[in-house]
Amino acid sequence: MSKEVELDCLGEACPVPLIKAEKALEGMDVGDVLICQIDHSCAMKNVPEWAREQGHNVEVEEVDDGEWEVIIEKVK
Amino acid sequence: MGDEQQTAQSEGGIKRSSRTRTRKKKKNQIPLGIIALLFVVAVGIILAMTVGGNVALFWMLGSSFGFILQRSRFCFTASMRDPYLTGSTSLTKAVLIAFAVTTVGFAAIKYGAFIKGLPIPGQSYVVPISLATAVGSFMFGIGMVIAGGCASGTLMRVGEGFGMQMLSLFFFIVGSLLGAAHFGWWKLNFIVRGPKVFLPDVFGWVGAVVLQLLIIALLWIAADKWAKRKSSSSDH
Amino acid sequence: MKIFDKIKTDPYYKVWLKDAWPYVTGAILLSVFQIVSLASAGTPWGVSGTLADWGAWLYQLVGGSVDKWYYFASDAAQAKLAAGPLKDPGTFRNLGLIAGALFAALIASGFKFKKIKTWRQVAAAVLGGLLMGYGARIAFGCNIGALFSGIASMSLSGWVYAVFLFLGAIVGSKLLVKYFM
Repeated sequence: MSKEVELDCLGEACPVPLIKAEKALEGMDVGDVLICQIDHSCAMKNVPEWAREQGHNVEVEEVDDGEWEVIIEKVK
Repeated sequence: MGDEQQTAQSEGGIKRSSRTRTRKKKKNQIPLGIIALLFVVAVGIILAMTVGGNVALFWMLGSSFGFILQRSRFCFTASMRDPYLTGSTSLTKAVLIAFAVTTVGFAAIKYGAFIKGLPIPGQSYVVPISLATAVGSFMFGIGMVIAGGCASGTLMRVGEGFGMQMLSLFFFIVGSLLGAAHFGWWKLNFIVRGPKVFLPDVFGWVGAVVLQLLIIALLWIAADKWAKRKSSSSDH
Repeated sequence: MKIFDKIKTDPYYKVWLKDAWPYVTGAILLSVFQIVSLASAGTPWGVSGTLADWGAWLYQLVGGSVDKWYYFASDAAQAKLAAGPLKDPGTFRNLGLIAGALFAALIASGFKFKKIKTWRQVAAAVLGGLLMGYGARIAFGCNIGALFSGIASMSLSGWVYAVFLFLGAIVGSKLLVKYFM
């Protein structure tokens, strides 16, 4: 059963959400899912962009006004 | 308090156990947005009628820049920081494109004035190059990355509600005042000996534009290659 | 009201006002308005010069005076300070930036006030702000006035600024990861 990891990046300044997501993903297995909670408008764009470039499956869900969940499924 | 564990799928298909933490019901801020727009327009009109057209123009330009910056999540800080920190150069390339487009537009306006014998607009932005330039921009580079935003980025984030950038703005102002207080010292010891170099004076108008666009193109290619190298080297 | 919910699902609203624009779109539009600025206002975009003026006005508010400072010695600077912020174009350009960004966030239903989370963030904001403010003054500007407008104006100073800005960003990144995360 693949693991689900939640990463709270609320209130973090750019580029901290991306760096945290990178580190978290490194320690995860293929098939695991990382869910980043983000409220930074730059991060809700650059985290998915980076993750897609790395080849992972990414989705972004708007959770509230100015709050998003970036869902990354580790592919490789 | 709604901590239900159920397997769900997010809209695109990644399977996750949707722990429906108490999701606040999303407010619709569009009405507030419309009020904000009316406010911006109203201020512009009032300024034009009271202080003058020039101030109203600056208000319009500023609002436009702020809107564009936020809509595109444009960030000069990231353009300089990400190549090193994350290996990404998408903003670097975008900034280079901005340099190229403005080079063409600015050259056109300046040349048009030049050949008519009129004063060339914007020449006050051609400033002396000295140690102060190097030290100042180096300091700015450090500061903008630490503070999570450059000058335009800080103002943009104040508008987005970031408490951290409101604090940063205050100290930006304080730092500016300190810099202004010391400016005389820098001027006397370094700036006064620094040359102002307007590239068309050195290479001619056509030469300067072509050279600058060429350099921008080469930098764009370098940025493009850098990102490809970085993403392939992190294959595990 | 139902009409606002209907707007939320409209495809044009989504592309123009809701979803983030591509960076290249931003680059081109910023360039357009830079050119508009030079053509109509006779001067390119700048941000940090006005922040120094704000500093002077605040300083005057608490009893200080910049009248003897070399930086503010010119007739133009003296006249600008005397006229005050409410007559200053630069002030309204900067305030407009804030307003434009606020509008963009609200119309996309994406505005949220984000409180400062840690003391590290406070330290970062203070140190970063001071470095930016000081650096911008002695280098004749910030990422907009000295870098963007400088390079657009085909001034070699813009390129020199770019080189050292980039080096500073590398150092800043190392410090950020080590001390401010």
